[in-house]
Amino acid sequence: MTFSVRSVHTLRTVRALAAALLAGALLAGCSTFSEEGRDQYERSQGEPPAAEGAEGAEGAGGEASESAKSVDQPYDVRPLLEPKKKYLGVAADGAPAKMNAVEDFAKRAGKKPNLMEFYSAWGDQYERELVQNAWDYGAVAYIAWEPFETSLKDIAAGKEDKYIREYASSVKELNLPVAISWAHEMNGFWYPWGTKKTSPADFTAAYKHIHDLFAEEGATQVIWVWSPNVINPMPKVKLKPYWPGDEYVDWVGVIGYYAEYGPHTYKSLYGPTMTQIRTFTKKPFIIAETAAQAGERKPADIKDLFQGTAKRDDVIGFVWFNYDKETDWRISSGPLSQKTFREQAQSDSFGFDVTKP
Amino acid sequence: MTKRRTPTWAEDSEVRGGGHERPYAYEQGNQQAYDQGNQQQYQGQQQPYGQGNQQAYDQGNQQAYGHGDQQAYAQPGQQPYGQGHQQSYPQAQQRQVGNESLRQYVQNAPPPLYPHHPEYDEGAAGGRQLTNTGTWRFNGRTSKYLDQATFQIYAPFDPYAQYTAVEPEPEAQEEKPGYTLPAVPESAWSVDTRRSRLLGRLILLCILLVQAGLSLRLGGTAFQDEALYIASGHYELDNLLHGTKLPVDFAAYFSGHPKLYPILAAVVDDRFGLFGVRVVSLLFMLGATGLLYSLTRRLFNLRAALGAAALFSVVQSTVVLGNLATYDAAAVFLLALSAWAVVRTDRMNALAVLLAAPPAALAFGVKYASGLYLPTLVVLAVITAHRHRGIRALGRGVVLGAGTVALLAVGYYFSGPLGGISSTTTDREKGADTAATMLQHSAEWGGLLFLAALVGSIAYVLRARMGEMPWIGGETTGRWRRAALGLVLTGTTLLAPAYQINLQTEISLYKHVGFGLLFAAPLAGLGMARLVGPHFRHPQLGILLYVLTLVFGMVQAQERAHSFADSTQMIAYMRTIVDKKGEYLAEEAEVPGYYLRDKTYWTQWNNTYFMDYRGKDGKQYAGAGAFRQAVRDGKFDAIVMHGAISPATYAAVKEGLKGNSRYRLAAVFPYTSSYGENAYRIWVKR
Repeated sequence: MTFSVRSVHTLRTVRALAAALLAGALLAGCSTFSEEGRDQYERSQGEPPAAEGAEGAEGAGGEASESAKSVDQPYDVRPLLEPKKKYLGVAADGAPAKMNAVEDFAKRAGKKPNLMEFYSAWGDQYERELVQNAWDYGAVAYIAWEPFETSLKDIAAGKEDKYIREYASSVKELNLPVAISWAHEMNGFWYPWGTKKTSPADFTAAYKHIHDLFAEEGATQVIWVWSPNVINPMPKVKLKPYWPGDEYVDWVGVIGYYAEYGPHTYKSLYGPTMTQIRTFTKKPFIIAETAAQAGERKPADIKDLFQGTAKRDDVIGFVWFNYDKETDWRISSGPLSQKTFREQAQSDSFGFDVTKP
Repeated sequence: MTKRRTPTWAEDSEVRGGGHERPYAYEQGNQQAYDQGNQQQYQGQQQPYGQGNQQAYDQGNQQAYGHGDQQAYAQPGQQPYGQGHQQSYPQAQQRQVGNESLRQYVQNAPPPLYPHHPEYDEGAAGGRQLTNTGTWRFNGRTSKYLDQATFQIYAPFDPYAQYTAVEPEPEAQEEKPGYTLPAVPESAWSVDTRRSRLLGRLILLCILLVQAGLSLRLGGTAFQDEALYIASGHYELDNLLHGTKLPVDFAAYFSGHPKLYPILAAVVDDRFGLFGVRVVSLLFMLGATGLLYSLTRRLFNLRAALGAAALFSVVQSTVVLGNLATYDAAAVFLLALSAWAVVRTDRMNALAVLLAAPPAALAFGVKYASGLYLPTLVVLAVITAHRHRGIRALGRGVVLGAGTVALLAVGYYFSGPLGGISSTTTDREKGADTAATMLQHSAEWGGLLFLAALVGSIAYVLRARMGEMPWIGGETTGRWRRAALGLVLTGTTLLAPAYQINLQTEISLYKHVGFGLLFAAPLAGLGMARLVGPHFRHPQLGILLYVLTLVFGMVQAQERAHSFADSTQMIAYMRTIVDKKGEYLAEEAEVPGYYLRDKTYWTQWNNTYFMDYRGKDGKQYAGAGAFRQAVRDGKFDAIVMHGAISPATYAAVKEGLKGNSRYRLAAVFPYTSSYGENAYRIWVKR
């Protein structure tokens, strides 16, 4: 018994057949090793696919995903939205980069502020250090984000997406609560995003777009503030067209100062605005910027502000504009003002520990 | 001599010597003893050589030796016999004929023309016989003296003279032996030895290590199904031990019995967590590979066994199932155990095949889809029956089938109604996957192994042996039986794809393909051995096949294992917000339901597949509308979604969230799966 010539041939045929079948299998399996398949594999390895990986790998993409993993739980800002007590906020010169002004304010007021407003121009990086400083001090940062040098149309159209996303991902990475009031006083005419150059539709579109990008990036630490000026100077501008919707706003930040010539009671200063706003939303109010012009009435204004805020359950606090700008808005402008402020701030309903609201 | 095919070493002196001695010993009287006593011993002990000798007779020696002898025995009557006899047989039977003819030749040959010698003549007359040892036998005694007379004369003077022990004449046994030795399977380069067995086991160990490594590298958080089965196991265990009410009737929609694997998983999970349960799965899969090795070795040979184990251990399904805490691994193991028992009891009494029935029945209980492979086991029982059993082989199949069915009937009687069988297995909801894609995917997942099995089957049908050791004849199974074995085992691979194409759903197909591959693997191993060829002529082909299978398996397993979200962050966050009362909507609700079972109850988690909801407006909603309205009404305390599993529900939920101030996006956890970037989004009530 040996190999017959025929069986050797058969064997060869079988082997040739096998080789052909193997090649066929390779072709059949091409989707495993196709472009798409490779991408899938790379993704599953936790790498960006080669196509987009070139810039993403060593650039911000890789870094971001690296740190995203180490981020612990996103800060739950819900307790900060409607705290039982009222915010005692301040906007002070140089703060929160330097805390001198704030500390001075706290000394005079006899209470540490727990909300700290500062301004950020469009195009600025998210100022992590400032937010961190404020937080370390014991205050929630409140950023008035001013879209200078851009148009709200462009923002809504997505031309600024890259910047917004970067900003949002920084917010997410820092993982500290922050109140953002974008394009405040939109119902006034004085800012580039004001009534003169921008339509309400553009404003809401841009506002929503920014909000959505933040949501996409997962920057859930933001307290969204929709911040109109009191309607007294321009009563004809209706606020409702500017309203983006309940799901886009956490606080309604009303801006109104006790000026020398103007309303001098809480009711006359904020009342009409709040009444109008209450026709379309029940979101809590915060007096986003306020102060009283130096003068004889200042102590009374201060008292009115405290009393009015304390009276209304749907106003969660105010931010004192403690600047000497145009006029001396600071509480230190006069000894009586300071004394009144100190007295009023003693009230237990103002100020609380933001880490345990 | 130019066409000589006998290996030169097979033609050594031993062979020749044996050949030369025989005619010398074949004297009249002696011949009988030789035939009866020695021949049996000779063939029994030295079978390989015996056949080697035949070879030598047939091919090499025939000319030199055979012709020489014929010339030496130049008798008128002999020549026709010697030549004519050989020619009258076809080539294929030459071996047997060669053996036969030689014996007959010696028996039938006329007395050789040795020169007359008084001693020979006298001895012949005196009835003496020359023994093997060179002494003479006469009067029933053995002596070194040539005859009685010489002995009587010389022995008294010979100080060394003695009688040797009487050798009784072995009695002729004409009746048929009661037991036929089974065919010794050809197994390797050398005959199956302890060394080759050890070597085979060492290689098997390496294969198993590779398999374990491939599985363990996958890792990951609990897959939806794993979470479901383990969590259900905990509730079932409580139900068994403390009679706690089950949150839902798991039996109604599980594709395996909820009191079998899930309970095992829960017990292990209590001690070792998810990793422990997955290790159990890995052990099941390693066990399956080991059993596969063993049964292939018994069916074919060591090399095929190694090939089968090597190929099976690296395909996607094996690798993934070894890291998947579902009942698939257990079912594969039980099927392998049953198949092994079927093959292992092939030569035993037909009733012994009943040993394969419990694992087969249990496999069905553990996972109903295993039922698809029970017919294969029954047919295998028939085909592997001892070949001398003839028609009675069918009995084995009947016994196994009846035993399995009886066990299943008993099991069903005690388990009560199992709605899951129909809803998940027999009467599954029809999907929309096309046959073409499913076939293509099946080919990607198991095509290589299937092709190898096909090659193995064809080669096996063509030749029962590779012919590496042509002098080993031995019995082989018939062509029909070989064809049937190849057809059944290879064809089993096609069962799952065919069945699911019929159902038009690709769900779990990648796992079910693996079940079929288990059965095709023996022939794939054989195919691999045949590709490599006799004497390892083409090792590169075998390596190529293995490496290709390995690469496909690795890549596909990696994709499969990362096809779902890593839930670590999501679970950690949800842990901070859930309580015992809340109601939660979650995509893959089983995952948080499993991980957070210490803080929540199973029914607090709503899945994203089905929902019936009566809205606060009093209307009844179903499907996506129900989700939308429920979100609008603020029914859920938290919503966890990513949209990869139920995009329709995701869209509905988003719609429900629009203009809805009840919820607030609380967290976004991006993750990367093999389908791309995605993110968990968690909304909570304000």
